[in-house]
Amino acid sequence: MNAALARGLGGGVLLLVLWEAVVRLAQVPPWILPPPSGIVATTWLVRSALLDAGAMTLFEAVTGYGIGAALGLVLAMLLALATPVRKLVLPMVVVVNSVPVAAYAPLALLWFGTGALSKIVMVAFIVGFTVFLNALDGLLRVDPAAVALLRSFGAGPLGVLWRLRLPTALPAIMVGLRVSTVRSMIVAIVTEMLGSQKGLGWTIFEAVLQIDFLRVWAAILVASLISLGCFAAVSALERRVVFWR
Amino acid sequence: MALLRLAVPLLLLAALWEGAVALLHISPFYLPPLRQVLGSIYAFGPAYAQAFLVTLGEATVGFVAGALVGVVSAAAFHHARWLRDMLFPLFIASQTVPVIAFGAIVVLWFGNTLLAKAAIAFYLTFFPVTVNALAGVEAVDPRQVALLRSFGASRRDIWWKLLLPSALPRIFTALRLSAGLALAGAIVGEWFGASIGVGAMLLAALFNEQVVAMWAAILAAAAVGGTIFGVVALVEARLVFWRDEL
Repeated sequence: MNAALARGLGGGVLLLVLWEAVVRLAQVPPWILPPPSGIVATTWLVRSALLDAGAMTLFEAVTGYGIGAALGLVLAMLLALATPVRKLVLPMVVVVNSVPVAAYAPLALLWFGTGALSKIVMVAFIVGFTVFLNALDGLLRVDPAAVALLRSFGAGPLGVLWRLRLPTALPAIMVGLRVSTVRSMIVAIVTEMLGSQKGLGWTIFEAVLQIDFLRVWAAILVASLISLGCFAAVSALERRVVFWR
Repeated sequence: MALLRLAVPLLLLAALWEGAVALLHISPFYLPPLRQVLGSIYAFGPAYAQAFLVTLGEATVGFVAGALVGVVSAAAFHHARWLRDMLFPLFIASQTVPVIAFGAIVVLWFGNTLLAKAAIAFYLTFFPVTVNALAGVEAVDPRQVALLRSFGASRRDIWWKLLLPSALPRIFTALRLSAGLALAGAIVGEWFGASIGVGAMLLAALFNEQVVAMWAAILAAAAVGGTIFGVVALVEARLVFWRDEL
């Protein structure tokens, strides 16, 4: 085990021990801060309900993520090809993007109801924006000399896109995809908190109303574990796809 | 010139909005005409002004605190390798926690005060700043550090005269991203029982199913975001005056 990993693990363990000790020694009431052991115990106690809720949130996040990533990528490729349209559209995209996505959540609920659809739309919206902006940045940041070289060999705009721009943009696209994983879970949970009958966001909202703060922490723990898992999966994919990094 | 670059997309978007509603007969349930939304803001001017100021204050406090903590952490991580190994993984893990879920707990800790929303805004802001500031500091050529040292520069001199200025462009990249995140934190923080602010307005519009009020609140949110972003851009133009040469 290398030193950095050992120190990292040490930091994590130290934090947990400190947390547990402070809560126990200062007798912090659980509604302010429960000890980690209490959170784990509660999580285990209500595991079946949390798993159901987590599965629902994960489903919304993954579905929205897939749709958003595909749309963002296709849109970025289209705009990379059409320069005049891009110059017109991009500033407007930036303006729309300057409003935090959370502000659009009430609209999505009103339009698409309190079922899974409104969450999927919201996740697709934020993932789409993130992937679009990252991918477009990567697609446009190619060496003009390389473009000229491919052109001289008779490559059309599509050929340049496929053989040069996409491989060059891959690292930027993967960064967008990685950043989006955590955001997709957060947005799914936020939208669930505002209105739904299922999912982790709903569990948190309900537990807050019942002043059951251990269950809030348990839901946060499950949500964090799921996002951490998704984040690790996309990072592993990134190392595979961008193998030359 | 900068004003023109800002005004053109705004006017285009406004024209697109009005035009689409009129030509495509979009139901006002989805998109009410822009002049109706603006009229509603005008009619309740003082209420919107107050919400704007309250949310701006919450986001700004969290944003400034996040920026300071981010730069200080980067400095500490740069100077003490062991500290970085120990804390940086925790920083990363902290960002996979859906902070919004903490909203209720943070409000419990701080009460329904400005501090509660600022705390959430802070949580979302400090990480991107830390990462970018650290990357900026690490990218400095060690030979430049060695040169300054050979002239007898102290650690403090090296930090203020070389490391921090070199990292500034990257720090501002993170700050521009964080401006939006801080606003998101403030808005969501207001959903846990606040009565004043852009987020509270959004929630009230949702409960009353008032689409016009919802769009008005979204425009107010855009105004807050635009204000913070604009100030950051202005400060950046002042501090990083060599940016265009990069």
